[in-house]
Amino acid sequence: MASFKKTQIRSLPKIGQKVTADTLYWRKLNFPVTVKEFGPIDYIDVMPIEPYFIAVSSAAKVQIYNPITHQVHRHFTRFKEAAYGASIRSDGKLVVAGCDEGHIKLFDIGSKSLLRIFKGHKGPVHRCKFTADNVHVVSFSDDKSVALWDLPSETEIIKFSEHSDYVRAGCVSSISSDLFLSGSFDHTVKLYDARSPTGSTISVDHGSPVESVLMYPGNSIFVSVGGTELRVWDMLAGGRLLARVSQHHKTITCLHLASDGKRLVTGGLDRHAKIYDVQSYQVVHTLDFPSPVLSLGITPDDFTVVAGMANGLISMQHRQTPAEARALIPKQSLKDQKKSQTTYRFRLNADFRNVNRTFNPATDVEVATKNDNSLVSRYDMFLRKFQYSKALDTVLGKYIRKKKPAITVGVMHELIRRNGLKSALAGRDDSSLSIILTFLARNINDPSHSKIIIQVANTLLDVYENSCLTPQSEKLFLHLQEHVNREVEYMKHLMEIEGMLHILLASTTTQTRRGPVNIGQGPPVKVMLPSAAAAANATMVYNVG
Amino acid sequence: MANKKARGPDKAKPNTDNIVVKKQEDAPDIVRQPPVFTDDSKYLCIASGRQVGIYSVQSGDKVHCLKNHSFDIIGLAIKEENVLYSCDTSGEVIEWDINDGKLLKKTSIAVEGLKEFYSFHYPRNGKFLVSSPSINEDGSSLFMFEGKRIKKIFKDVGKETQSIAFGCDQGDGSLVIGALNYQCDGVMVKDTKNVIDRKHMTDKRKFTCIAMHKEKLIMATGDISGRILIWHDFVNQIRPVKTVYHWHTLAVSSVCFSSEAEYLYSGGSEKVMVKWRLGGKRKQFLPRMGSTIKFIVNAPDNICVATSHSDNAIRIIDSTNKINRAIFGLVKHDPIRGLEDGESKKESVMPTGLVFDPRTQGIFFNSQAGFLQLFDPLRDSMIFNMDIANRNVLTDERNTVIGNAEVFRVAVSPTGEWLATLEVWSNMSVGYHDMNLKFWRYDAVQANYELNTDVTMPHHDRITSLAFQPGLLGTEYPCLVSIGRDLKFKIWRLVDDTDIYRQKESWTCDVAGDFRKMMPTATSFSEDGSLLAIAFQDTVTLWDPMTINLNTTLSHNLIEESIELMEFGRDQCFRYLVCASKSSLFAWDVISKGLVWKVGKLRSPIRCLVPDPKSSYMAVVLQNSEVFVFAPSSSKPVHTITNVMSSEPIAALFVPRPNPLANSPEWLVNSRLLIVDDQQEFYSVDDNSVCGFDEKLTTPISHMDSLPWTPFSAIKAQKQISAAKQIVPVIHQTNGIKGYKSVQSLLETSTSTLPPMSRICNSFMIDLMIKHDPKSMTVKADSENGATNDLPTLMNGHIESKMPALKEEATQQKLLTLDCQWITKN
Repeated sequence: MASFKKTQIRSLPKIGQKVTADTLYWRKLNFPVTVKEFGPIDYIDVMPIEPYFIAVSSAAKVQIYNPITHQVHRHFTRFKEAAYGASIRSDGKLVVAGCDEGHIKLFDIGSKSLLRIFKGHKGPVHRCKFTADNVHVVSFSDDKSVALWDLPSETEIIKFSEHSDYVRAGCVSSISSDLFLSGSFDHTVKLYDARSPTGSTISVDHGSPVESVLMYPGNSIFVSVGGTELRVWDMLAGGRLLARVSQHHKTITCLHLASDGKRLVTGGLDRHAKIYDVQSYQVVHTLDFPSPVLSLGITPDDFTVVAGMANGLISMQHRQTPAEARALIPKQSLKDQKKSQTTYRFRLNADFRNVNRTFNPATDVEVATKNDNSLVSRYDMFLRKFQYSKALDTVLGKYIRKKKPAITVGVMHELIRRNGLKSALAGRDDSSLSIILTFLARNINDPSHSKIIIQVANTLLDVYENSCLTPQSEKLFLHLQEHVNREVEYMKHLMEIEGMLHILLASTTTQTRRGPVNIGQGPPVKVMLPSAAAAANATMVYNVG
Repeated sequence: MANKKARGPDKAKPNTDNIVVKKQEDAPDIVRQPPVFTDDSKYLCIASGRQVGIYSVQSGDKVHCLKNHSFDIIGLAIKEENVLYSCDTSGEVIEWDINDGKLLKKTSIAVEGLKEFYSFHYPRNGKFLVSSPSINEDGSSLFMFEGKRIKKIFKDVGKETQSIAFGCDQGDGSLVIGALNYQCDGVMVKDTKNVIDRKHMTDKRKFTCIAMHKEKLIMATGDISGRILIWHDFVNQIRPVKTVYHWHTLAVSSVCFSSEAEYLYSGGSEKVMVKWRLGGKRKQFLPRMGSTIKFIVNAPDNICVATSHSDNAIRIIDSTNKINRAIFGLVKHDPIRGLEDGESKKESVMPTGLVFDPRTQGIFFNSQAGFLQLFDPLRDSMIFNMDIANRNVLTDERNTVIGNAEVFRVAVSPTGEWLATLEVWSNMSVGYHDMNLKFWRYDAVQANYELNTDVTMPHHDRITSLAFQPGLLGTEYPCLVSIGRDLKFKIWRLVDDTDIYRQKESWTCDVAGDFRKMMPTATSFSEDGSLLAIAFQDTVTLWDPMTINLNTTLSHNLIEESIELMEFGRDQCFRYLVCASKSSLFAWDVISKGLVWKVGKLRSPIRCLVPDPKSSYMAVVLQNSEVFVFAPSSSKPVHTITNVMSSEPIAALFVPRPNPLANSPEWLVNSRLLIVDDQQEFYSVDDNSVCGFDEKLTTPISHMDSLPWTPFSAIKAQKQISAAKQIVPVIHQTNGIKGYKSVQSLLETSTSTLPPMSRICNSFMIDLMIKHDPKSMTVKADSENGATNDLPTLMNGHIESKMPALKEEATQQKLLTLDCQWITKN
């Protein structure tokens, strides 16, 4: 009638980072190549067309890196003091950079020659950008002003001096040559239209000094960062606040779009870069860096991620190509690969194909997923034939017991159900006994497995109670006992802390509630689990003793 | 408050004639007797209760249903081609024509001194073999009827059908009869032609079944150790040659020869059918047949084999050893073994009880271990059988009982969208138990339930009750309460767990609470879902389900026993909470917080307490199968029925009718009462005018809502106009006594200090009014067009309408404070 139903492997959802499509995508970045510069990396700009050169401004020079070779392709050193905010034109031919003396310098990448110098700012210029028509430059200066320059005539067209503090952030619209955005340390973000020279069209208050701003390609939304907050504004609604996201715990310094405008990346002084989904502003992945991140650059195809750090390090990470991914798997020769393609059905690996990989944020709830795989695992084959020892041997293989202990525990659970655990454990030689004992000692602390592991350990003690053991096994039994004792100690401590917390909670809730109510307001199932494990552990200690 | 002198059920008026209890006949036990193949192997005749079903072997469909017996059938046999004999316990033998299902002849074999019969066999030469109770109570005697002659063949044979076999019909009228004696330690053999009697004894292993080949002199016996013996030349030899076939570990329940004596089929509790090749070593297995095999019957032309299983199914296996067709009755649940002492019979036989499904109007209850079935009481058919545990069904080992995961509790959400199941598996010998709370969502497109959330160990000890919050009708996220023996109650809520990758909802534990370290024993929601009652032993606590704040604790020194069952009243009796302890029944008024009535010292323990969803009545079923129907407002029963059944009732349920029944007692107008006994037989308590289970549906029930769109569905009318009353969610507005506060203040203040009547009159009247939505009020007043009182009207203009609106708000506030008062004040 019914076909054999597979053994259920219960794996509780992992606490911590979830495995999602995004984490898998961003995890594919290779080990970074780092270059050390003399000063902090102020700004990184990526050429929007191939070969995606990267302009890095740090100290008194601007360097253009080749992202493939990681070599300096060009460098511009004609700055007296620090150079800031070098940005490459969309055709990849010109680069513009601001500097400490208040000038804006325009270079030709091909010939390395200085083409124009725009003079007029009284303070250092930290950011400058080409407009969408490629013949104007917008500059953002510490003299609290924003200026629009004409490229051919080298003249200033408009100047807006509306800010009351340094203007350290700015960007231009990608479709309109007249719109640009400035962010200042006076907490405001202003949108200017070159066609209305009277003043800014939108001004919004960010709440803290603005470090970077960004306009979405559609020209309807812009984003500002500063302090620990990311704010999203609706441009069409006149600067309505759409979202406030605070995911960094130190100042956010830079902003970048990635994945074709579907993801937003922020870097901060807390040494992280966070990747957000642009629809929900949820963090989908976090990149870690060794030092505070000041600037970020991502190539349009997401192939290279460049981060500039406060200690002068530039980290360049490439995405793994399929060939590289293959090469990373060691010890698999071409012959092996061929073999694995043809006879994979008979390999033990088949066991892992049906492991659930969906995860749920709630830690005490298991997600139901369908096992469509009709492949029968080896342990199921033995279970079907009532060969319990062999089934247990199968799941005590090195790979399964170390990498997928849930499978081992699942089979042990099934053996308990079938009343076959005793016979599966009995009559083992020294080496297989030591494997079991090591497995038990390793996993007895895991709250999701401990219930079954304790049961197995008790049965094992029953079976080998009166038999003569080798010194090695005896040592392992004592080792297991040590583990249990330690766990019991931990649990005692935890329960003490829990008790303290209960007192605190109770004292805060009694003021609002009358009557003899005793409710743990929130302790869900999970909180209670360790105490049960502890209780069960305690009974086991008796057995050992 | 307790009314000791209240007239208890004992003094109730006797049964009225128009209410009858009927045993359900249409979904009966089809595996009590072995089925019989017709000679051409095209039909299978199955005895079920008092009727015989003729099923087509090809399609598995029922062709005829033969009804004429007035007692349970004990045996079927084929007389000749297309003629079937059936015999019942009273000895009435009926001949049927199989082709057209007509009754041909009716005779009785009962004679003086032979009135009751156990089994019936027909060896095909005008002789009947009948076993009848002997003087010795455990056994029976086997008689042979040959025309008018009655001959006693054996005394002290076993009662069961499997303990008698006959064969060796070589065309010369010879007949060999074999039978197991009632102690099952010997085989008695009789050759009727040569008049030889033999008795072969066995060792300690007792026999369980016997089979003989029709023509050859060969006999097979199975025993409790799982061994099968093939006996050769057992008539003439004193010590006949035996061949041993041993694969089964448990007792063999049935053996059967193929028609050429080439193969032998055997089966037992391993749920495996073994096909032995006689004389050879080879054997074939058909494993995991779902349930214990009771009988195996071979078709005359060897095309197929039919196996009867303990889960009330007959499976037809073709010659390639595959299950071809299955004929299902209502699936019977094998009682759970190895439960702790002190568990009631209900926990073992039908732990889920009967749970009404509002979506299909069906009933959920246990089927095989780990399965749940949905039964349609109107059509008497199973809607589906659902695998809850999704585990292999394990069989026992020889000396150990191995339990399976069993469904213990089921709850259905008020809309039927959610199904919560609790499956429990425990191994007492190891001291290990497992529990899973599963939440299933009905998917209307797929037309099945999908597992949404699976919680391992929701409580540390067994959950004793699950209940969904009623009354919300899908507007808000539903909520489930579970109480367990770990002294905790938990509230489970559906939480939205959608992120950018997927849309998902799942259930999580919202609150876990306890009350004075007492054991929670029963739980119930009020009809509108606004109040949650949990009984902790003898104390009832009332909680607000949204905030889980304790509102009231109800206890009384007249109540000493632990409350086992608890239900809120419905309809007009919404304020009464009826509680049942082992031997008493009492009701609390949750508004005045007093004990309304108590009936103590019942004749027998209370088994079920069921509210009628369509009226305010409730029914109580006692262990001695007495049923009392009462309204929760008074202790006087509306109706009393004694001796509903001879067996013990374990569960009951009110099932709504599709159409109200006129001219019947009020409690039977909209629903009828179904009771299940420990044999899992259904009994219906219904009005006499309704022909029981044969009640035909007057309106076709449409499944259109749950079916996917098809071109044919387009033909159906988009909208159906119906005079039927729409179900409106019940919300009780009359919490508390209206204007209690102002009346009280009016009475308490001395008349000398009262302000002038004209000043207090207005506010006093407002306090007494029932609150309405001010908006709807204006509209109403407008439509009446004659509103000249102080209610705001649109005609009165803008400025005037503002003042009363403000007043209305004030009234609302007052009402709110009033509402809280009745519940906070002790």
